[in-house]
Amino acid sequence: MKTAIKTVNLTKKFGTKTAVDNMNLEIYEGEIFGLLGVNGAGKTTTIRMLTGLSAVTDGDAYVFDLDIKKDLQKIKSLINVSTQETAVAENLTVKENLEFIADIYGISKEDKENTMKEIISSLELGEVENQKAKTLSGGWQRRLSIAMALITNPKIIFLDEPTLGLDVLARRELWKVVENLKGKVTIILTTHYLEEVEALCDRIAVMTNGKIKALGTADELKKSVGKDNLEDAFVEIVEN
Amino acid sequence: MKSITFAVRNMKELLRDFISYIFCLGLPIIMLVVMTLINQSIPQMEGAPKVFNIEKLTPAMAVFAMTFLMLFVCIRVSSDRASAFLTRLYASPMKSSDFIIGYVLPFALTGIIQALITYLCGEVISLIVDGQSLNIGYMLLSIPLLIPAIVLFIGIGIIFGTFFNAKAAPGLCSAVITGAAILGGIWMDIDTMGDGWKTVCSCLPFYHSVQYARYAFVGNFSDMLTPLLICTAFTLVIFTASIIAFAFKMKSDKK
Repeated sequence: MKTAIKTVNLTKKFGTKTAVDNMNLEIYEGEIFGLLGVNGAGKTTTIRMLTGLSAVTDGDAYVFDLDIKKDLQKIKSLINVSTQETAVAENLTVKENLEFIADIYGISKEDKENTMKEIISSLELGEVENQKAKTLSGGWQRRLSIAMALITNPKIIFLDEPTLGLDVLARRELWKVVENLKGKVTIILTTHYLEEVEALCDRIAVMTNGKIKALGTADELKKSVGKDNLEDAFVEIVEN
Repeated sequence: MKSITFAVRNMKELLRDFISYIFCLGLPIIMLVVMTLINQSIPQMEGAPKVFNIEKLTPAMAVFAMTFLMLFVCIRVSSDRASAFLTRLYASPMKSSDFIIGYVLPFALTGIIQALITYLCGEVISLIVDGQSLNIGYMLLSIPLLIPAIVLFIGIGIIFGTFFNAKAAPGLCSAVITGAAILGGIWMDIDTMGDGWKTVCSCLPFYHSVQYARYAFVGNFSDMLTPLLICTAFTLVIFTASIIAFAFKMKSDKK
């Protein structure tokens, strides 16, 4: 399997506080990789470093063998991110938001139109495509935000708590979207919902205090601590 | 191209905000009309100059309108910073220069359109009230000359929007709007307010912006040169500061 992301002693410090501590991790192309952890575990900071939103304090990271410290501009054209908060231009329509992001990434007109049709159809955005983003409900806005991350045909997509604040139905809808991407795009997903990682992720890393405490499939994590469900396994890993 | 794409987005955001029409276009025109009505109601002494001369008031109002441009740039930048939208763009291949150009272009274009509309309104008022046309040639010629003043106010807006949040930044802009109106001599002649006051006004860019706009409006290009150069110097300093401020903030946000 080809490596999509490799971190080598990746460290992030804020003053005296270490948010990510010597992280060594390998994520493979096409997999859905879950980052689990309690608040302040370092999940978002890891994503911020890998997307160039936060400077690396120490260590290094490679995205498709490109060095995050030296080749960030090249890396940026290969990745896209959907942040914790909904990141849309409020006064633009759904279609205009998608066009805007595609143009920022320099996607050709033909590719843009084809991908837009595909994404609007797969995310079922057709009924709201001419509506301004600010008029959409939270669930639709989140869906649009993910569509904006997909429109550039990224090789890697970072989904930082994509279902945060969504109702059960909207969350399940988004699961379907993510499931459909399986194998096509490498997805790094952070979430607090354990059933979400269990349903979607190929492998899971559990972070506490900036360190990876456990890594493996959901079954491997449960087995490693002798628990029947992921929630108990997660608590056991985090507390010990 | 990224900067143009971003500029188009900012233009759409501005055009789709109804309040921007009221402040950027409506208010200067209303003020122009109100000042003319006040002028009409003041008994005119024979031989004495009018309190609000349309030839002086129109270009001053065009400069005053730019202060609202500053307010809207400031709101745009601070709102973008407060939302995750800018975070998304920071993760994109956009550079700090793309952001700056993207913010400046739509607002500069709006500033030019704003000046044109204010001048046309001045012309209509002149025709109705005084029964004579203003010099359309000079009027049109003076519009591109307003660009240094437009960029000056956009620069101030970017600085405020960069360093202050969406709640504090508009308040600061309101202080500048009031300050620019008083210290720029938009409503009253600074020369009649004493040397001390004039010295204070001369140390700031607003007075020079209003002065050169007034000279350009009537085609007095020789007298226009000095205030134009002073205003341009202020613009260079403030606009450079806004570029540095935005790039600095972009970098510090990544820490």
